[in-house]
Amino acid sequence: MKPLSIGTFLFMVISFAPSTLASSSSLYNALGEKDGIARIVAHTLDLSFTDARTQKQFIHTKKGRLIGLITDQICALSGGPCTYKGLSMKKGHIKLGITEREFNALVEQLQTAMDKENIPYHIQNKLLAILAPMKKDIVEH
Amino acid sequence: MKSILGALSLFTQSVAADDAPLFGSSKLLATPGVVQIEGAGGSGLTTWAVISSYGSNREIGANAHYTLTATQDYTLNAVGARFGFFDKVELSLTRQYFDTGKAGAALGLGEGFTFHQDIMGLKVRLFGDAVYAQDTWLPQVAAGIQYKKAGKTDIIRAIGGQDDDDFDYYLSTTKILLNHSLVFTATARLTRANQFGLLGFGGDKTANYSLQFEGSVAYLLSKNSVLGVDFRSKPDTLSFAREQDAWAAYAVWLPSKHFTVTAAYVDLGDIALHDNQRGFYLSVQVGF
Repeated sequence: MKPLSIGTFLFMVISFAPSTLASSSSLYNALGEKDGIARIVAHTLDLSFTDARTQKQFIHTKKGRLIGLITDQICALSGGPCTYKGLSMKKGHIKLGITEREFNALVEQLQTAMDKENIPYHIQNKLLAILAPMKKDIVEH
Repeated sequence: MKSILGALSLFTQSVAADDAPLFGSSKLLATPGVVQIEGAGGSGLTTWAVISSYGSNREIGANAHYTLTATQDYTLNAVGARFGFFDKVELSLTRQYFDTGKAGAALGLGEGFTFHQDIMGLKVRLFGDAVYAQDTWLPQVAAGIQYKKAGKTDIIRAIGGQDDDDFDYYLSTTKILLNHSLVFTATARLTRANQFGLLGFGGDKTANYSLQFEGSVAYLLSKNSVLGVDFRSKPDTLSFAREQDAWAAYAVWLPSKHFTVTAAYVDLGDIALHDNQRGFYLSVQVGF
């Protein structure tokens, strides 16, 4: 089973790669382009700043600036014509002691915001798939 | 004594400093899976590598379930509870009642003769992150052990079963491909269980352990619903009646983290001289 299935897996990875790239810019469109992404991010952070589970992490944060940064970041990652100019995820969250509970709460806030923008569930998952690996740099170990 | 108190106060301080409750449900909806037939976290027939509670890495969570499986000739009722500790360790306890109905009379056991079984399970997450490691093919991997104790020892002996209790050992891998809204699970199980253990362990054909396979593919249809299929191979150790592989097609409805309903169509193959046992499976769980 082992050698064959690893070979098959590798083949799948290679053959998936181009389609993933191609779907990136359509993800940008599906999220409503830059305006749609900005609304999603603003609504997410409205929730983050008021939700008892997350608000204490945002006490010293300027909301407007953060909305701009994350909008650019998601715009760029989803295949849009933007450049993210912020810190790396690791540097940006160092010593904040962000817990898994807080991180999951933020994901739920993002899902709520995408629901509000009527983003279909499978599209939401495509964005979450791109953002998910950031958890290891954001959440304290 | 002093050092125990010291450790305790340190512990309570660290919990208090975090001001997050010890009992909680902060994992994402649907990510802990549901419950499988032996009471561990998984889907209907397949054990998953996820820890089956909504408790995240600093929380303890728990679920209770009731599951009914009804085929043409048999009814299996199960009740149980699962506890997840820090998204690392899962403990499960389940009791199954296998009602032979009219088939019991045909088998010479008497109508409505009921086998029962208790199952205690322990699962430990070894490595990997099924949900968040979306940049790698590495799955989440867990190892587990289930202690099964069947009732009706004399009947089990009479049909050729070797033992009325035993351990199953499994290694499980689960991978969520969020980009495609799919969840894959493959599990290898070392077992001697006849019909999951309800008909004892080992038989007159072979008393040895065999390696069996469980597999599941699930599609995350919406925030509150999941569709999937399960396959499970089983040993065939008793010469009085053939045992076959099982499969199921299921739909899960998750209105919240605290209440979940799973409905399935199951095909369990031949069971104790009654062919092609097919029917429905309904499982309800509540938890935090």
